[in-house]
Amino acid sequence: MAKMAKPKIVIYGLDRRHPGLTVHVGGSYTEAASVCLDRHHASPVRIEVTCGTKQTGRTIDFAKPEARTLKAWNNDIDTTEAGAYGVAIAAVEAEEELVAIGRAETQTGADWYVAPRGEQHEDLESCFRLEVSGLDAGSKSDIEARLRQKIEQTHRGKSNLPAIASVVGFKERLVLINKVEAKK
Amino acid sequence: MTWLQFHAESERRAIEAKAALASRDESRAADLYRQAAELEQKALGALGSDKARTRGITAVSAVALWYKANEYTAAERLAYSLLADEGMPDFARDQLRNLVQAIWTEHSKREAGVAFLPGQVSVSVKGGEVVTGGAPLDLIVDKVQSIQSIFYRTIEYLTGVAHRKHGPPSKDLQDACRPWLFQSVPGSYQFSVAIQEPMQADFFKAEVSPSRVAQHFLEIVGASAGENIEELKSVVPDEEYRRTFLKLARNLAPTGKKFEQIEFRSAEDSRSISLNPESRTYINHNLRQSQEATQEQVVTEELKGTLRAVHLDKDWLEVVSEGATIHVESLQETVDDVIGPMVNRQVTVRFIRTPSRKLKFVDIELDE
Repeated sequence: MAKMAKPKIVIYGLDRRHPGLTVHVGGSYTEAASVCLDRHHASPVRIEVTCGTKQTGRTIDFAKPEARTLKAWNNDIDTTEAGAYGVAIAAVEAEEELVAIGRAETQTGADWYVAPRGEQHEDLESCFRLEVSGLDAGSKSDIEARLRQKIEQTHRGKSNLPAIASVVGFKERLVLINKVEAKK
Repeated sequence: MTWLQFHAESERRAIEAKAALASRDESRAADLYRQAAELEQKALGALGSDKARTRGITAVSAVALWYKANEYTAAERLAYSLLADEGMPDFARDQLRNLVQAIWTEHSKREAGVAFLPGQVSVSVKGGEVVTGGAPLDLIVDKVQSIQSIFYRTIEYLTGVAHRKHGPPSKDLQDACRPWLFQSVPGSYQFSVAIQEPMQADFFKAEVSPSRVAQHFLEIVGASAGENIEELKSVVPDEEYRRTFLKLARNLAPTGKKFEQIEFRSAEDSRSISLNPESRTYINHNLRQSQEATQEQVVTEELKGTLRAVHLDKDWLEVVSEGATIHVESLQETVDDVIGPMVNRQVTVRFIRTPSRKLKFVDIELDE
């Protein structure tokens, strides 16, 4: 009997699948994700993805970062943030068939927007705002607490926009994804 | 050109600007942000009024880009014109108001006639007795004092000053890196803290980036309130400093009686750190782990009352509980900035009863 291929989260070639990502930005997210995963695991690493109420075991293949890459990503906070974006964007694509179509600036950073794959995106009318957070070494309860916090922030700050909150726990090998509906 | 074309080009410049900031090329970053702002404003002009969500997102983005380019007049002018637009969606209106407040803060900082380190920390206190824009004065004064203490300790730690057991920070440090409090955006009770830039150019050692003081502050507070003590150990390897930071963070964390949450956010960063009653449990757990590592296993008792007197030089404190004054000795590494704000407040003291029936201090925390 033929073996079923394990479902994956593909962190390579993000720019080829996500119209909003350039080669440079997509590549930097892939590099950062590899550095974060390599801190705790060997490739391929099995990750548990919880999307709403659905749980899926997936694997991520990543190349072991070279010394030069590690040196370039020696700031833990920035690396965890960029790595979380790489994994979250790829996980949302795998789970929800949503792709990153662009970003827009805010006072304190920038938000990514995702929309259904295969549609034409001339504007941001049908998009979801993607709210991402990463934890390098937090426990499952830390990751769940961070998701609750993200959902609360999303409701509080940008109440008319539907959003997707995602938290990536690198050591815990856990990705949580939750749709946050627009408040009326 | 269409919205998509203008916006895509603006995005590209903004990403380049962020990269320039990361490599500390601030003037190039400002120039790129200015170009991105011009393009985003054109993108906004290319949108029809039927594209409400896209207009809202683009409006915020354009004002934010002018703000990041340090072009405050252009940012303010655009923000006001957009706020006057009846078709602007509510989510964008909220963010535009916050941007206007941030622009005012930047104006105030310029008018203060002093330079500030890059970055500031926004603090919001929520829940319990706190209402939008208002909070009990004693609560806020107490939190502001603790935040100032953590900032001073962070700077001392970064500049390699030996762990201070007693007294305030040196006058040199207080003069060089004076924390300033600024009014912040409405919503719960909020304020922001910026650190005055030292006049002495080499105040910080070469390996310490002054622009990261606020970032270090947030890392330390976040790691102190986390479940995993290893994270704090990697941020603060020095054990004495680590215990002091844990105690100062506990002074900030709510018990849930007067307020429910205190949130910290860097002005340059959307990530935030929240302390809630659960954080206090983690901090206590981490502190006990750290104390147990250095002490024999002994039975500790608890005492609740008002802290009436502290003598750090003579190593004792007194708590009034149910009309009786109770004397506790051996304050060990207890430091002024942790215990000072607790005088005349309800506290819980943990202690050990010695064979000679004296009470030996283990720990103290606010009980409100």
